[in-house]
Amino acid sequence: MDRRNFMKTGAVVSVASLLPASFLSPEAIAAVSDRFPKPMTPILDGDVKEFHLSVDIIQQEVVPGFKFHTLAFNNQIPGPEIRVKRGDKIRVIFKNKTELNHTIHWHGMYVPWRMDGVPYVTQMPVMPGKEFVYEFIAEPYGTHFYHCHWGTLLHMQAGMYGSLIVEDHDDPIKKQFEYEREYTLIYSAHDVNFIRQELNAMLDRMKERMYLMKHGRFDKERFATFDTKDELIEAVKKGYQPPYVTNRRSPSELPQPNWFTVNGKSYPVTPNLLIKQNENIRVRLINAGTEEHYLHLHGHDFWLVCDDGVPVPQPWQMNTVRLSPGKTIDIMIEGKNRGIWTFHDHDTRRVTNNGLYPGGNLLALVYEDTPADEMELPPMTKKMGLTALPVVALDE
Amino acid sequence: MFRYSFIISSVIAFIVTATGQIAAEVTPEFQLGARGVMSLNTDINNDQSTNTVSDFSDTDLMFGFRQKMYNKLRGQLVIGFQFPDAESDLGQVFFHQTFIKLESRSNILKIGRSRVKTTLLDFPMLRDDDALLLTTVLNPFSDGENSEDHQYGNVLEYAHLFGQRYQLRFHAEHFRKVPEVPGTAETDFGLNAVGFIMQYRVPESQRWNRTTIQSVSIGTNNFLTDRPGFSSEYDQALKNILFGFVINLKPDPVHFWDLRSQTIYNSGFEEVQSIENFGDLARAEAIGNYTSIRYLYRKLERPTLQVALLGGYKKYPNANQPTELLQVASNLFYRIGENFDVGLQVQYREFSGDLRKIYGDNETRIQLSFIYSVDQSWNYQFDDRESLLNLEHGYIP
Repeated sequence: MDRRNFMKTGAVVSVASLLPASFLSPEAIAAVSDRFPKPMTPILDGDVKEFHLSVDIIQQEVVPGFKFHTLAFNNQIPGPEIRVKRGDKIRVIFKNKTELNHTIHWHGMYVPWRMDGVPYVTQMPVMPGKEFVYEFIAEPYGTHFYHCHWGTLLHMQAGMYGSLIVEDHDDPIKKQFEYEREYTLIYSAHDVNFIRQELNAMLDRMKERMYLMKHGRFDKERFATFDTKDELIEAVKKGYQPPYVTNRRSPSELPQPNWFTVNGKSYPVTPNLLIKQNENIRVRLINAGTEEHYLHLHGHDFWLVCDDGVPVPQPWQMNTVRLSPGKTIDIMIEGKNRGIWTFHDHDTRRVTNNGLYPGGNLLALVYEDTPADEMELPPMTKKMGLTALPVVALDE
Repeated sequence: MFRYSFIISSVIAFIVTATGQIAAEVTPEFQLGARGVMSLNTDINNDQSTNTVSDFSDTDLMFGFRQKMYNKLRGQLVIGFQFPDAESDLGQVFFHQTFIKLESRSNILKIGRSRVKTTLLDFPMLRDDDALLLTTVLNPFSDGENSEDHQYGNVLEYAHLFGQRYQLRFHAEHFRKVPEVPGTAETDFGLNAVGFIMQYRVPESQRWNRTTIQSVSIGTNNFLTDRPGFSSEYDQALKNILFGFVINLKPDPVHFWDLRSQTIYNSGFEEVQSIENFGDLARAEAIGNYTSIRYLYRKLERPTLQVALLGGYKKYPNANQPTELLQVASNLFYRIGENFDVGLQVQYREFSGDLRKIYGDNETRIQLSFIYSVDQSWNYQFDDRESLLNLEHGYIP
């Protein structure tokens, strides 16, 4: 069956029917917390909260049986959550353990411009083996994130992102919705072939450049790095051929993501949101990828309460929210309809693993207090010899 | 003499037809390799006469298909053909590559028509066969009408890699026999050569991490001949020993220098004491060395200019009269576009003793050339074994 026919067939299968009752097992509930980014514990240096971040190359298993090489903060994807109070003094000591250049950009934060992490604009890149210290005050309130800003197209989809949550002692959302539990979901999209090829190419290039740098031989044309635009224009006039011209690079397609992750994992190992009847939960949605997502919750409406970390004047009731690249959106879900409900990207091209449905951005809102009799297996399931609704890895 | 038959192609054909299915859900990686080598060759002969010809031999086209197996193996099929040397007896087109390769992280199995292990190194010359008499173990079954007989054959190879830099490679080949033995020639896939190679080699992807040694190799190549008057396989075997190395003289990314050297010793047959034809040339005891020094200028992180000086010497100690071959060559290649080079190569060869009967006293060849190479892949799915990620950040099968 070709891919097009397959997608057509797969789309008619109810997503809800794919979610297993085993999600309510004590083990599954206990494991849920591991699928969300854990806040780092800061080291207190006087009134400064100090965090340590490093980046290295690791292998990320996004689903059982498939892994690829990635860049990861503190050996995890997403990177650890930085959770601070508004007004805190923050210091982040960033160590580059790779042979590539990196920076950290604090997305949505009012940092001093020299701390903004844009290479060759606010700082020099953090070169292999080097450290950079970022210092800023935690402003503004809300859901934000951090990511690498060097080779951003590659480095972000390769895994260099993490959540940055600025809490307020007087949280405006809690005044509207009482809640205790909250979850962070970071979405990303990965063209794993692009990542692999570009990482190899960058590593190769950097080995060569570091050799030259070590011997004090920086070459502007070779490194494609000029002091000014005029200098670049002058070099081109004199015959320099930049890397983007067609006699150095043929027109090629931009990355086409074929894996879609939530907190670094794809369905069927995406994190699930636990809730109880009459409980409110806050879900912080972050899009650290390059694709738009249209996140739809079955069986419920929810309230959009923050946009880019900013509390909206009036919560907006909806069941599908658009999450564009670079956006953060906070939603409140009210536990009013017990059961197991899917929460997925309604652009179902992103509910795939390597083009196969279901996969990718598919997870569940799971009522922990759903009575056992409501979870009884359908007769067909028993006939099949299954002990729970199956985890479906592939649709056949 | 022992013989094995190549049965692999028939086995594969049986599987496909037996199951009646070829799954289409995995589109393989598609690889395209092409090389056009066009040159104007001017030969200056003994009598100072000259003749000029245009030459496009070594031009080739290859297609590759590669995918992951159900386990940790990768499988590959390569089919390629080239335009053989002028006046060869191979026809207009010669299928020089038609093989299947199976490989894991530390094992490689290759079966089919491919390059034979008659040399350990590639030297920086215009064509692979420009110094064939010095760089390659000669096929004793050939009549010397073409160079492909010494470079390509039906091969069965197994290599085991120890870690990332050491490998042990066993190879067995069927070399083409000319003249063909009636009733056996084109259908004879029996193996008529065996050997092995031990090699230390720094992967190409780590070229900026290797300070001095690129590779050191030692190998053997034993042809299983029908040597008249001898019955044991050992006595009938024509034994060659190869030793080669490549070292960096200056591993600089901009101004790169390296040195390559290979020595081949052919134990020969003691009864061959005069060289009357090509068969004798391959069967007489001989020792030869070929060495090159190469300078490579890399502007903008890609090759721009390459200049090489090459030379070799070979002598036949068992010949009745002193018989020697001396060759010096130099070439320059300038890149005028991505993978498109213009080159100039000059070779001088001098022969003494019996070799004069075949080649004359000396010959000089000047070649002006244009070379366009293509090496592309589509539908990438997995990484190469020797990528930097796989070598330095954990191997992903």
